[in-house]
Formats: sequence, structure tokens, C-alpha cells
Amino acid sequence: MKYQLRHTTHFEYSSPVTLSHNEARLLPRDLDVQRCTNTRLTISPTPLRQHERLDFFGNRVLYFVIQDIHDSLEVTIRSRITTQKRLEPTGDAVHSGWETVVQHLAPDSGGKATIASPETLDARLFTLNSPFVKRSEALRRFALDCFSPQRSLCDSVLALNQKIYREFSYDPEYSTLATPLEDVLKDRKGVCQDFAHLAIGALRSVGLAARYVSGYLETFPPPGQEKLVGADASHAWLSVFIPNWGWLDIDPTNGSLPNERYLTLAWGRDYGDVTPLRGVMNGGGAHELTVEVDVLPLD
Amino acid sequence: MRNPLPHSTLLHQLLADYQAKRSQTAHRYDDLVTPEGQFRARWQPLVEELDELGLDGLQQRTLEAQNLLHENGVTFNVYEDDVRKMRSWQLDPIPYVISPQSWTMLEQGLKQRARLLECLVTDLYGERRVIRDGILPPELVYTHPGWLFPAADTGNLYARPNVIFQGMDVMRNEDGEWRVLGDWTQAVSGVGYALENRIILSRALSRLYRDAPLSRLAGFLQAYHRCLSELAPHRRGNPNIVLFTPGPGSSGYFEHAWLANYMNFSLVEGGDLVVRDGQVSMRTLGGLKAVDVIVRQITDPWCDPLELRGDSLLGVPGLMQAERRGEVAIANSLGVGVLEHPALAGFLPGLCQYLLGEPLQLTGRDVLWCGTPHYLNTVLDNMNAWQIRAVQDATKPIIPAELTPDALAILRQSIIQAPHLYVAEQPLKPASSPSYNLQHNKVTPQPVCLRFFALADPSEGNTEPADLPHRIMPGGLAWVAPPGTPVMESTIVKDIWVLSPVAQPHISLLQRAKGPILVTRDGMDLPSRVAESLFWIGRYGERLDNRSRLLRETLTSLVEEGQLRLTDTLLPDLFTALKLELPDSLDPDEDPSARTPTEPPVAVEQFITLRKILLDMFQHSDNEGLPRLFYAMLRNSRAVRDHLGDDAWRTINTLHQTFSDLPNIQGANAGQRGLEEIVTLLAAFFGLCNETMPHHFGWRFMDIGRITERCIASLELLKLAMISARRPGTDLWETVLATTDNLTVYRRRYRSQLYPAAILDLLLFDETNPRSVGYMLKRLETQIEHLPHPETTPFRSQETRLIIQATSHLHLVDLDSLTDLENSAKAQAALETLLDQLLTPLYALSDAISHSHFSHAETPKQLVTLQGSVT
Repeated sequence: MKYQLRHTTHFEYSSPVTLSHNEARLLPRDLDVQRCTNTRLTISPTPLRQHERLDFFGNRVLYFVIQDIHDSLEVTIRSRITTQKRLEPTGDAVHSGWETVVQHLAPDSGGKATIASPETLDARLFTLNSPFVKRSEALRRFALDCFSPQRSLCDSVLALNQKIYREFSYDPEYSTLATPLEDVLKDRKGVCQDFAHLAIGALRSVGLAARYVSGYLETFPPPGQEKLVGADASHAWLSVFIPNWGWLDIDPTNGSLPNERYLTLAWGRDYGDVTPLRGVMNGGGAHELTVEVDVLPLD
Repeated sequence: MRNPLPHSTLLHQLLADYQAKRSQTAHRYDDLVTPEGQFRARWQPLVEELDELGLDGLQQRTLEAQNLLHENGVTFNVYEDDVRKMRSWQLDPIPYVISPQSWTMLEQGLKQRARLLECLVTDLYGERRVIRDGILPPELVYTHPGWLFPAADTGNLYARPNVIFQGMDVMRNEDGEWRVLGDWTQAVSGVGYALENRIILSRALSRLYRDAPLSRLAGFLQAYHRCLSELAPHRRGNPNIVLFTPGPGSSGYFEHAWLANYMNFSLVEGGDLVVRDGQVSMRTLGGLKAVDVIVRQITDPWCDPLELRGDSLLGVPGLMQAERRGEVAIANSLGVGVLEHPALAGFLPGLCQYLLGEPLQLTGRDVLWCGTPHYLNTVLDNMNAWQIRAVQDATKPIIPAELTPDALAILRQSIIQAPHLYVAEQPLKPASSPSYNLQHNKVTPQPVCLRFFALADPSEGNTEPADLPHRIMPGGLAWVAPPGTPVMESTIVKDIWVLSPVAQPHISLLQRAKGPILVTRDGMDLPSRVAESLFWIGRYGERLDNRSRLLRETLTSLVEEGQLRLTDTLLPDLFTALKLELPDSLDPDEDPSARTPTEPPVAVEQFITLRKILLDMFQHSDNEGLPRLFYAMLRNSRAVRDHLGDDAWRTINTLHQTFSDLPNIQGANAGQRGLEEIVTLLAAFFGLCNETMPHHFGWRFMDIGRITERCIASLELLKLAMISARRPGTDLWETVLATTDNLTVYRRRYRSQLYPAAILDLLLFDETNPRSVGYMLKRLETQIEHLPHPETTPFRSQETRLIIQATSHLHLVDLDSLTDLENSAKAQAALETLLDQLLTPLYALSDAISHSHFSHAETPKQLVTLQGSVT
């Protein structure tokens, strides 16, 4: 699939900002299944300096400084993105039981002489607690409904994906940026970030590796209506590590497996690692935020 | 030793006492005596000195050193406002002595360790081979609070973190072997104290220090300064090096100020720095001044609220990016905190083989990382046999054997849930070393911890991490405490002597400069924050002075007429001046019918009630009280510690003492005496500032603060006395003269006759009287004229206009309209108008000055507030 992506973030400040240092994680990654061309990030007012780098997780980060006095800030990313069909796990990877994988990820379980593969060593970071996702007994119990003994990792993960989709309601009013997972678990509702965090927490609590993915999803207007400009939204889902195969994306918000209609932006341990736009400024007072996202199919 | 020293009686006695104290631990290595019970050779210079001085002589020298230490204001818990809780440590006159042979070995080991850590941190933030090849488990690295993901970019486009200067804690074990207890890389403390101890002891024991063959420290510190200078981007000549401190609230602040002074760095806080135009700059009165090198004394996570902890108020937004781009050098780089990981000790032998291809020379602590499954089982099997350290807060070990069963169960559960966050270790059995006990006037064997300092000195050769030559300071900081005790928790510190094979000439630490120096005058590069604090020292100090004088007059009045009918006394007016309220039962304004129909209070009761209200101003809890003002002044003084002279600072310390005793004062007379002491000490403080501070911007700001405050206080008091008082008249006028310290001048001019016109002339118009408003306005005008004007603008600044406004009102007033003030309502109205016309611009002056000169130092805000908890 081919898409034209546009994502605009607009801040309106109640008092002038004299200096701001910012970091944008808005430039989409290139992947085996995703090519980005004509990617342009426009910032208004024009930053005095900007520098791009790749962070620890390989995401593209743009650092920029605005020194002109300004009352508003607008950041727009435009990119033409071509996605391909994603592969599903095949071979032994599909069949290995989840307990075996947990064993595989555990630090030096003793006896084994082989050194873990680099992929597995890298994945171990994603079994640990992160600032927004803490492993817990409650999350473990929640997960164990799906992770019955001897069940294959893939089946278990898909079951968890469905469980969250079925048992939790999507409620955009409910969530703040950092809803504690106990609350999500108790209230059984949230937004995509919460569901992604919840699934990550559940997977890590049983000893698996899971990472947070930010991106976009092409949406369809209600039947018979025109698609509205700016009506799409940022989305979030997660990936699970499957040894000897790779990372499998799942989307508990929609109970589905991400396909060509998903555009990947960045990934990390949790939302905190991939915050699209963060900044520290002098002045500014209160601010109002408007976000517009378009994911327009080009075919 | 083949030729034991011929012992005097004193030495015999001393040795016998010392050995008696060791009877329990006689099998352990002791620094002073051999197993055969003889003094070790390296102690000869000291033993001889001791023999000469005698214990009483030693006691006297120790007290002398103690005084010098106190002079320097070595105090801990500097943020503690109660002076009695303030603790200063004791300086042991007996140093820790290391022989040349032993030092050679130790120095080699420490150098190797510094090299190893440098290679490790380069690899961790670069290729991470140690993780890929299974030498170091990822769980260990990624969960340490000192590990910074933002410092570990993919692709390594930029320079990797490095360690310029580090501290290493070392101790001798019971077999006399060196053991490394830990490493300090983020906010290395102790070098300032080590230096100070050396300076003080060489004054207290001058002959010993002059003649002993000990290695000197000055060379190392010169090299430190040179290495820092060479870090400057583009190798700029005469680089601006700053010492970045968390501020006066931190426990290390004294050392930061002291070191900044000694090494000639500017002492800065986060608010003084800003990243603009792609470079780190310091906010000064003259605008922004580029910073080349930052010596950082703040731990990693707090340094940059953009990329690290967003809730940090200490940090500088954009600092990491500036470092990444090489726009500023930070010693040490952000990210090196991970080297302080308590579990690393267990992996260093393997890392040393892997990274350097050689065996580790100095053994570290005996630790088990619980993240390794079979170690976890070992620890859980017998928890009481271990000391546990949590990776998140490794400063203090947890002793399972000392926990309650419940607490132990909780600890056990935490370890099982996240074993990688715990480290178990076997406590080190320390050797003993002689320490002088001042209280008992005895030398006793004690465990001593040592901190050494390593400097990466690239000028000595190759810059590859594996070959980086390191220098070890031939000395350091020692403290008497069991192994693992933080230095701040010890009560006795020592100097460390590294004996050199040949006697080294004594070099004064204050050396004659070799290179050329740019003569500078403390001026435009004064940080705005410092100017602001000096301004507030002036304001609070003067307010304190004014209220102390008023309170003193009120207490006098209370003693004289506190038992009379209140309406016949000055007390109600004086209470108003002090912004105090009379209790309803005594308030003459209260409608008598609304009052409970009781008899008017007995005179004595009235006296006691009023006295209590007045003496409450001595209480810390009182919002309007004097301690609040003093502590506000103290806070500001601490923030500019390096700009106040030592004598002025001593006066502040004395005031601090006075204020901690103040709440205990019971009687009115004692209260008066206390207030007189405060007034005198304040005068001494400001007098010393006037005499010793360069009369440049800093001093001007302090003066403007004082004069503004004094001018407002005089005008308000005059207004009360002449216009709004309940009992205007000569008695109150006299109080005004006394409070403003004009009584003597007045008496000399007019004898004891009180004329309002004469008082007004003296207090308002007479520009030769330094206490008159006219004089003060003139002084403010001069001071403000000399302040820096950032832009060359033809217009007058707001503060200049305010002063001109007040001055012209004063000059243009029709003096005739003020005659016959006692009887003419018109004259009173005219005076009231004049006083208000003077007060209004003065009230606005403070804001105008902070707007023009201080306002750029505002607290940055987060665009999005996001704060996950620490893993």
C-alpha cells in the first residue's frame, strides 16, 4: 500500500515563549516492510538549529531550538510511505511453547554453555520494568488466562490480544497520558496507549519481551461518507519477541495483527521512549494543543 | 624491623596503650605496629614528632587545626537551619601513611582500574561488545540509574562519554591487602576536603609537614586544571571553566564553593546556565558568557530536563545535546554514572581480561550479583550471612541479620521479584590504623577508609582508552569508619601521606603563577543569580535591622509604661509599626460594649500579655518574626558564599548562633540585649562587606537593596509618627529618631527640644545626613547609574526614572506648606501627599530592578509533563 502521511501538532501559548529546546520523534523509520520517501518535517517558527540522530532504539530523533519569541509552535511531518504485507511467524517459531521462550530469555540460567544470540540479548532489555510499565503479580495473573501450560507462544499472545480487545472498552475520555496500569486493569477501559502498555506489562510479567510501537493506522469513514481531513489519529500497539524469528506486532486496541494499513513511527520500552514531541521552554504559560493526522491512501 | 627506635617513656606508654586496645583483634593487620609489636618504619617521622610534642602538645595542635577548620566553615548539613544540628568533622592530626613501595603497587593498580573503567564506559555507550559477548548481562547495565539511554545513540555519530576525574575508595583488609570498595564518577567529592585537610595540617603541624618526605599535591592539581583547560572545544585559550553545583541545598556545597575558589572556576547553578546559539553560556550581568568546560557535581539523571529527568529543576535544558555536539566539555561526561554500579565489582576481573587482556591487579569487594541465578540461590539460602545493596540506592547496605522478620520477608520477596536489582556482599574485615582521639587524648586503632583520585591526562601520550595514561593524586581523603560508611557520615577525617623515596621540597599550594594571566575585574561576568542574591541580602538584612531596632524601642517602652493604661502609652502605635495586633481584650479601638463585661485586665497581666506577643517575634514559627528574615538573608548568603569575605562570613555564623539561641529568651531586658547584639552584628556584616567587597556590581546591588529597604522603612515610620498615629507627639518622634539612629545627631543640633520641622529636615531633606531620605535617594541614583545597561539606549531605564520621580517630589515640595504640622490639618495633608509620592516609586523600584537585571533567570517548563517512575 502507498500512503501520504501528514501529522500536524500545533501548540498555542498563553504567553510568549522566549527559548525552547525540543525533541521530535516524528520521522518514520524505514523497515523491511516499510519505505518512507519525500519525508519532510516543517517547523514554524523556523528553528535556529536542528540536528538529527538515531536514538538507542534506532528511532530518528530531531532536536531543534527556537530562540525567536513565539506564541505558537507548529510541527508537521509529511511522508510518502509504502508498506508491504507483513510476514507471519513460520517454522519452529510458531510451535515453541511460551515457557521455553521464557527460559530462553532468562539471564544465564546456568548449565548451558551457549551464549545467547545478539537478538535475544537485545530483547532481554524488553523483559524488564520501564518507567511506565511495571511488572506485577496482578498483571501476571491477568496474562495467565491466556498462557496456559505448554501452549505455544504465538497462540498465547494472540489470545492475550483478543482478551484485551474483548474485555476492555475504548474510552478516549478516560485516559491521561500516564494512566497507572492497576487503574486500567480495574476499570477495564482506556485508549490505545493504555492497552499497549497493559499487554506489554502482562507479557513482561510472565517473563517475555515486549516493546511499545507508535505509529498510524489508516481509518475508513462511516459507510457512505467522505473521509474528513485531519480525522485520523496517532496509534499505538506493541511487538512481542519470538526467538529465532523476530518481533511480532499485535494491536490489542483492535484485536488484530498489524498489516499493510499500519504505519510504524518509532519503538521503545514504553510511551516515554517515543514521545512524539517533547520540549522544555522559558515562558509560555498555559498552552492549547491541536493535533491533525491524515493517512491518505494513494492507490 | 631490625633496628627498633629507642623508645622514650611516652612512646612506650603509647605503644602499650595502643596494643591493649588491639587485644581483641591482635591477629589483624595494623598500620602502625608490626606483629612483633614495633612501630613500622614508615611512621618514623610521625613517631618522632609525637615524641617531641607529647600527647598534650598533640591535643593543642588538634584544637588549633579544629579552629582553622571551623574558620573555613567546614560544616555539613549546610541546609540545616538549626545550628545545633550542624556538624563539622574533626580533623585527625595523625595522617594515614603509605610507604613508597606500597604506593607503587597501589598506584599501578589504581591506574589500571581507571583505564579499565574508561574502556568499559566507552564500550558500553558504543559497540557494547561486553554485552554481545556475554561478559556483562544486559539486565545489570540497563537497570542502573546511572545508565542513560540518551547517551547511547545508535551509530555513534558523536563523542562517547569519558571519565576525566574519578574517585576510588580503598581500604586495607585484615591481611593488610588493598581492597577497592567502590568508584565515584558522576559527582566526585572529596578532593576539596583532601586539599583543605592538607593545608590546615601543614599550618597546625608546620615543622612536621615541612620536613616529612611526603609527596605534594600541588602538581596533581595543576595537572587537573591543565587537563580541564585542554578539554575546551577548539582548545580556546584561557577557557571559561565552571563548577556546576546543585546549589546551597546540597550536602557538598561547601566543598563546591571552596574548590571553585581554589581552582579559579566560576561556581554556577542550573539557573545560571543556558544553551543558546548552540553553546552553553552563563547568565551574567553583562549578558551571556560562553562556557567551555563544565566540572559537574550533579548526578547524571538531573543534568538535563529535556532528555533526562523532566522534573529536574537543577539541570540545564539542551545540555546533553550541547555535549553530544562537542559544543561544551563536561567532566565527567553524562552517562558515566553506570560505572558506580555496585555489582560491577564481581565482573571486573572478567572485564579486565576481556578489555585489557591482563589480570585485574587490585581486588574489589566480594560481591554476588543476585541476577545470576545460582548466586541468587546462594544468597537466599542464608540471607543473614550477607549484606545486601539495592542497585537503585547503593549508598547504604541493608543488613538482613538486623531486620525484623517482617522486613526480612519483604526484602526476600523484593529480591525474588527482581533479583537483578540486588547485590550481596561479604563485609570486609578491615585492618586497623592509628587515630588520635581528641576527647580521651589517646591514640587508638581504628578502621580507616581511603579515597584516591585519578585523572586522565591525555597530554602524557596516547588518547585511546586502553592506553590513556592516568595520574593518581599522591594523597587523598581518609575517614575513620567501618568499611562502606559514606564519608559524610564519618566524624573524623585524615590526611593521606604518600611517602616519597626522596624528600620533596615543600611547594606552597598558592604558587607563583608561571603563565601570563589576563587581569580581570569582577564585573560584567557576575552571574545574574549572584547579583539577585546580593540584592536580597541587602533587603532582608536591612529589614531585619529595622525591625530589630523597632522591637528594641517597643521593649523599652514596654518596660517603662507596660503597666499603664494602654491608651496613655506609645505601645499601640509601636505595635502598628511592628505590624503586630493587640489582643482584642486590650485593644483601645475595640468597642467596650462588645467586650465581655469584665474588669479591665490587671496591669501585670497586661504587661505579660504584651511581652509574650513581642517575644514571640523571636520564635521561628512566627511569620512576621525576626528568624524568618534572618533565614531569608542566610539562604541568600549561602548562595553567594564565594562572593562574601571570610570575616563577613564569620559574622553570619555568629548571627546564626545568636538566632538559634533567640527563642529561649524570656525577659524584656534580655530581649533588648539580644536585639542589640543583632543590630551590632548586622552592622559588622555590612561594614565588612563595604570594606572588603570590590565596589563593583555585586556590591552595588547589595547596597541598592539595603538603601531601598531603609528608605521605605524611614518613610513608613515617619508617616506613622507624624500622621496616622493614635498618639502623635514628641514621645513618638523620639522613638522615630532612635529607630532611625538619628537621635544623637538631632540632640547635637537641637538639644532636647523636639520640633517637627527640625525632625522633617533631618530625616527628609538634609542630604548630608546619611540617614535622611534625600541622602538615600541620591545614593540610590548614583548606584543605579553605575549598573550595567545591556543595550545602548538613549532612554533612561525604568529604575532611573523612578528615582528621578521620587527625588523631584522631594526637591519641589513647598516647605511652607509643611509648617505648623502639629496644629494645621492642611500641613498634615501636604506631608501625607509628599510621603506617598516618595513611597510609590520606591515600592516599584525593586520590581524594576529585578526586571532589568535578574529576570532572565526563570525556571524552564516542560511542554508535556511526563514522568514515569524509576524502574
